[in-house]
Amino acid sequence: MRIFTKLSSFVVQALLWLAAFISVFPFYWMLSGATNTANDITGGKVTPGTALFDNISKFFTLVDAPRIFFNSFFVALVGTAITLIITSMAGYGFEMFRSKARDRIFGVLLLMLSVPFAAMMIPLFVMFSKAGLMNSYAAIMLPTLASIFMIFYFRQNTKAFPHELRDAARMDGLKEWQIFAFIYMPVMRSTYAAAMIIVFMTNWNAYLWPLIVLQTNEMKTITLVVASLASAYTPDYGLIMIANVLATLPTILVFFLLQRRFVEGMLGSVK
Amino acid sequence: MKLVTYSNRENWAGWSFIAPAMVLVGLFMVYPILWSAWMSFQTGKGMMTKFGGTDNIVRLTQDPIFQRALGNTLLFLVIQVPIMIVLALLFAVALNNPRLRGRAILRTAIFLPCVTSLVAYSVLFKSMFALDGVVNNTLIFLNIVDEPIGWMFDPFWAKVLIIMAITWRWVGYNMVFYLAALQNIDPSIYEAAKVDGVPAYARFWRITVPMLKPVILFTTVLSTIGTLQLFDEVNTITASAGVGGQPADATLTLSLYIYNLTFRFMPSFGYAATVSWVIVILVGILSWLQFRVARER
Amino acid sequence: MTFLAPRLRNVFGMATGISLLALSAAWADEVTVWCWAPEFNGAAMNEAIARYTAANPDAKITVVDFAKADLEQKLQTQLASGTTEGLPDIVLIEDYGAQKYLQSFPGAFEPLTDKIDYSQFADYKVGLATVDGQTYSLPFDSGVTGLFYRSDLLEQAGYKAADLADLTWDQVIEVGLKVKEATGKPLFSIDINDAGAMRIMLQSAGQWYFKEDGTLNIKDNPVFKKSLETWVKMLQTPDLYKQVSGWGDYTGAFNNGDVAGVFTGVWMTGGIKNNNMAGKWAVAPIPRLDGVEGATNASNLGGSSWYVLSSAPAKDTAIDFLKTVWAGDVDFYQKILVGQGAFGAYLPAREGEAYSASDDYFGGQSVWADFSNWQAKIPSVNYGIFTGEVDAAIAAQLPGLIAGGSIDDAITAIDAQVSQMIQ
Repeated sequence: MRIFTKLSSFVVQALLWLAAFISVFPFYWMLSGATNTANDITGGKVTPGTALFDNISKFFTLVDAPRIFFNSFFVALVGTAITLIITSMAGYGFEMFRSKARDRIFGVLLLMLSVPFAAMMIPLFVMFSKAGLMNSYAAIMLPTLASIFMIFYFRQNTKAFPHELRDAARMDGLKEWQIFAFIYMPVMRSTYAAAMIIVFMTNWNAYLWPLIVLQTNEMKTITLVVASLASAYTPDYGLIMIANVLATLPTILVFFLLQRRFVEGMLGSVK
Repeated sequence: MKLVTYSNRENWAGWSFIAPAMVLVGLFMVYPILWSAWMSFQTGKGMMTKFGGTDNIVRLTQDPIFQRALGNTLLFLVIQVPIMIVLALLFAVALNNPRLRGRAILRTAIFLPCVTSLVAYSVLFKSMFALDGVVNNTLIFLNIVDEPIGWMFDPFWAKVLIIMAITWRWVGYNMVFYLAALQNIDPSIYEAAKVDGVPAYARFWRITVPMLKPVILFTTVLSTIGTLQLFDEVNTITASAGVGGQPADATLTLSLYIYNLTFRFMPSFGYAATVSWVIVILVGILSWLQFRVARER
Repeated sequence: MTFLAPRLRNVFGMATGISLLALSAAWADEVTVWCWAPEFNGAAMNEAIARYTAANPDAKITVVDFAKADLEQKLQTQLASGTTEGLPDIVLIEDYGAQKYLQSFPGAFEPLTDKIDYSQFADYKVGLATVDGQTYSLPFDSGVTGLFYRSDLLEQAGYKAADLADLTWDQVIEVGLKVKEATGKPLFSIDINDAGAMRIMLQSAGQWYFKEDGTLNIKDNPVFKKSLETWVKMLQTPDLYKQVSGWGDYTGAFNNGDVAGVFTGVWMTGGIKNNNMAGKWAVAPIPRLDGVEGATNASNLGGSSWYVLSSAPAKDTAIDFLKTVWAGDVDFYQKILVGQGAFGAYLPAREGEAYSASDDYFGGQSVWADFSNWQAKIPSVNYGIFTGEVDAAIAAQLPGLIAGGSIDDAITAIDAQVSQMIQ
């Protein structure tokens, strides 16, 4: 019996490491690609090469990197902060104050989530252009702020929020917004951390909508720049790989930063 | 008397919490959706449209490409979503074991795929699954196959490739939801069960799964929606010469077809809107079923 | 829309007033150009801008580049929305898509018939941007096709330039098999989902998916049948080609030396020269179809043109710019030919020095002069407005055909699918 447990835990370990290897391998490929020339990459070379500095200098001569990264960071960070506040409030509101009317609205929201974005692009575009907001940070962010997906996420997680905490706070005379800000938000730290990773990542990698509303080189985000580099008649894969590395780095950083929050959350955000 | 005022206050608080989100949703979702509903009754090329009544619905029934896209989309849904949900759940539970060595590294590694940008992801998968790419070379080296697999040329393998790609990208993402939710389960429940001698698999089925039911439902519904709107992968990985859904429409999905109708072919916005409503109706039916199933369990 | 707009404007106005998030960059006298392929189209455009602003220091012209599919998507969304704010002044459109845009968004593009002397441009380029007697484009690069090959490898298989000057596609298959035998390398890299080959074959015999009047030209068209047969026959010969998927894989194969050649448009020349294989490349005319009427050894693949938007605030500057440089500066065309390998459709440019120069990379061959001669022979066809639809219908039949399916059944199926789509 003991042997069986040991064996099964070994199998689990091995499978997890295999999954981890498969997950990470493409990143290794990307990193080693950034150090190779275009021909080496299309030739299937897997080992690191010596073209890293060539690729980097090509990237920085072709791309106004400070401006592009500023755009990406600004949109992703501000957008994430506002999204988290608005959607967690809504998720909390839907779950903690249940009523027939609000439940019905929630059902409609869920259906709206299923409308493909391609079908809404043209009317959205008309709105923003009539409002004179084309080519602005606001245009990139506004349609993403009230992410139905995140409202849904916070509502689901609120189900695990102990109602006794709210009842106790009410007894102590706290107002509803105080309960939300000073009890719910700290208690749900790990929920927020996961949400933040996801929203930041979505905003950072956003493509279709920024593409439609941005019109000048100065306003482009890094994601759009990478796509444009990849569109050459004979694509320079060394350059594209280094651009990919630089475009992926911030999302990985955010994940690593928040991971510690995750661990804190594990130590017992809900007791 | 007091109860009524309290309930009013609560009701008011409920509306205030959801108000900011509702204003934004009203502006940026409801209006465009109404527009698309209206568009779905228009026919014509480009902006020269006229009211066509049910013409677009009739066209759906006679359109072999639509039927191919619908079939592919449903096939992806039925096969990919269960695989992904089960894998994500198993990984989450395994990684939640505090005695597991290298937990942080494993968790990070498995999550990483979903942070890649789409362009990076498609370039990587295309080169790795090329005829003489790393994957085929490895499979031949290990004697699993004799001849390289035409991942992007064979209709069957192209579908397999897309399923693998989506799974690669999104398992870690779903896993994070389960991990976060697992944190909110009181560990003392497990301790008590262990003391009572409940074996591991039973703890999984009787405690973990029921406790995670809301999150499982949540990820299932979202993955269903995501798969029904599947677009990125089939527009990049199985694309050639800027045209997605290859080979021979084997990986054409409804969303890609909408995109083609809007941007690649002669623009027929009205018909594209009609096809998007097919997705909405499918999601409506499937979500309702999933909620029903979740409630009965 | 209308009932919501005024209120929205207020909401947005407040939001922007407070946050200063809106950075609008719409200057009336500034010309914006959209294009793709920054190293090719973008670089040529920037060269033109430098020349124009040297003489007109007040003019401000900016190039914004996007991926090609992205640009088309942006343009189409914007035109469909009916709002003109944010549209560029000049936009690059691929020739295959020109009629689609001109016909589905009438009034969006500025006719240039009275402003540009079109007799100075290659005929076939002018024709495909003309609707109801009005021409809208400033024709840019030609897509005149050639058979690029590795002269060193073909020599090993016993072929000299003279042997390749007058080939049919059937003969090319034989050449390919010999090359494979002698060098171990296939002749081509082929992406079976890329419709390019069919397009090249059809146009080389003066035919297209559509007739002049825009009706389908698939059933009962011997040239279409012959093209499809030839293409399927090539695909059924595994030793002829390396199977690739996607553009990077495709170009990588000949740039790496994995395959011995490529049949494509003249715009690929720059990419081919960008490797260390000087003296090892040469270009032959594109092969012709065997046994059909009107077959030639000249065709076209891709190529694009500049269009001016009617709504552009700086329309006059834009037109003057195109007219001065793109329809008047022979020297400019020499510069972009040497710099980017951009082969213009502007005929006077062919008298320039660069067009007659020989190129050591191609073993001293006068490649540009050859391309000029072939360009003059390209049959003119009407690309119509449903090219993408037909491509998709053909692609759907190819796996079955390669497995040995009947050509006639496939043609019937293609015709049926397209008819359904374009009704």
